[in-house]
Amino acid sequence: MQHALLMWKNTRMIVLTAVCAAIYAATLIAFKTVVPIIPGVTEVRVAGVFPMTFGFLFGPAGAWGLAIGNVIGDIFGGTLSPVSIAGFIGNFLMGYLPYTLWSTLIPVSNGTYAWDAKSVRNWLTYIVIAFISGAAAAVVIGAFADAIGMVPYSIISKIITINNFIGSLIGILLLIAVFDVTKNQLRLFWPEVMDVSAANTGMKASLGAWLVAAGCILGVFGGFVPGLSWTVVSWLATCLVIGGSLLL
Amino acid sequence: MNLTFYNDEATWLHRLDPRTKIGGVLLIFVICLCFNHPLFITVILTGVLAIFTTAKSIKVLWKLRFLLVLLFVFSVVLWPFFIKGKTILFQWHGLEVSSESLLYGFAMGLRLMTFVSAGLLLLATTKNEEITNGLIRLGIPYPVAFALATAIRLAPTFADAGTTIVQAQVSRGLDLDSKNIFGRFKRFAPLAIPIFISAMRYTNFLAMALESKGFQPDAPRTSYYEPQITGRDWLVLGFLTLTLAACLYMRLSLHWGIIISGRL
Repeated sequence: MQHALLMWKNTRMIVLTAVCAAIYAATLIAFKTVVPIIPGVTEVRVAGVFPMTFGFLFGPAGAWGLAIGNVIGDIFGGTLSPVSIAGFIGNFLMGYLPYTLWSTLIPVSNGTYAWDAKSVRNWLTYIVIAFISGAAAAVVIGAFADAIGMVPYSIISKIITINNFIGSLIGILLLIAVFDVTKNQLRLFWPEVMDVSAANTGMKASLGAWLVAAGCILGVFGGFVPGLSWTVVSWLATCLVIGGSLLL
Repeated sequence: MNLTFYNDEATWLHRLDPRTKIGGVLLIFVICLCFNHPLFITVILTGVLAIFTTAKSIKVLWKLRFLLVLLFVFSVVLWPFFIKGKTILFQWHGLEVSSESLLYGFAMGLRLMTFVSAGLLLLATTKNEEITNGLIRLGIPYPVAFALATAIRLAPTFADAGTTIVQAQVSRGLDLDSKNIFGRFKRFAPLAIPIFISAMRYTNFLAMALESKGFQPDAPRTSYYEPQITGRDWLVLGFLTLTLAACLYMRLSLHWGIIISGRL
């Protein structure tokens, strides 16, 4: 979380945040009413191709950019409501978890912060983190949307998870295509822009990573366990996701 | 891409301080959450629509009529199957609908319409730069507000760049009108690459321009636009706060406006 706060002192990271937010918002608004799934809450998110790439390449700037972009999308898509607050947190997590889990979700991750399209392990890490970050957003947004009577958690959590996950899987094409250009030509790879080490190998961070993963699995599948209500599951999973994220 | 719902009129609502309007919308959101009975929420929605009328901005709401109807219909259809009530209306293969769950669905549909309408009320009567200014004055750090304002300004630029790229590819034979949703989704990914690269080049130019002008995220700032909170603002905030207190009293002490207890 330290980098997510420190980045606001770096002009280039602030501009990256604005650019990420603008791209995300423009795509969200352009496709908002094309294929709605739950009107006013979610739609087929073509913009879902961006979060993993933004999160991995731009780190905290990508995370804040997604959060701000989603709010702009809600405002100018005409769907500003209290769920926009949960949308802000959920979309922040979609950009925050890719760069924080990449080196901490051991043994899925190898503990380094790098992308190599030829490494099978990198692909596996990408797919696992794509699922976790998509589910984390779904859990937080779903719990809040259910609490205020917008849409039942049991439905919305699955729709957002699947929607985000499919978007992120297609988004791997984008990451492969732009990684070298962004890192070596434009020099906008976030550890170099902020001049920090992106790999976080402490025990606390690994614990946080697995708490987030546990929260996501509980949030998506927990309601199927007999005797567990979706409401209890949603808030327990939300606590695990947010608590774990703070440790990262 | 038109990124504004602002409706330029000279009404009492347009003249309020942006902080009052942001705070007011948040208070309306909380007031909406006090009840889950359709009758009570209808009263709140009627109040919001009355404010729209006095702000001469009902045409902005009319633009989103299909979204509002969809929100309402969706809630009325969906919620009855997820809420249990005492008075069963029909049962079928484990699914049951009660009169309480049906009323709750109506209430949630009306609540969603009220949420969207209240949000739109803020946007119809407040310019984008006033919203940003209001957020800064409410304590949002300047760099965050700067990122928000810059993103709002850049989004149409990137959308136009995206449209140009899409049109160029369509003229070369790319089929984006296929009825298959996933096919369209997949075909969008390669188009995202040139949009992404052109936006990232812009990042470097903008950052250099800011740095060359001595931009410092933490530096203290003055603003050309400095709205003042007046008596009218306090009156509006006071009225909404009293309304909220009355609603909380009705819900918590008198137990009014409840169809399903234990839910907001």
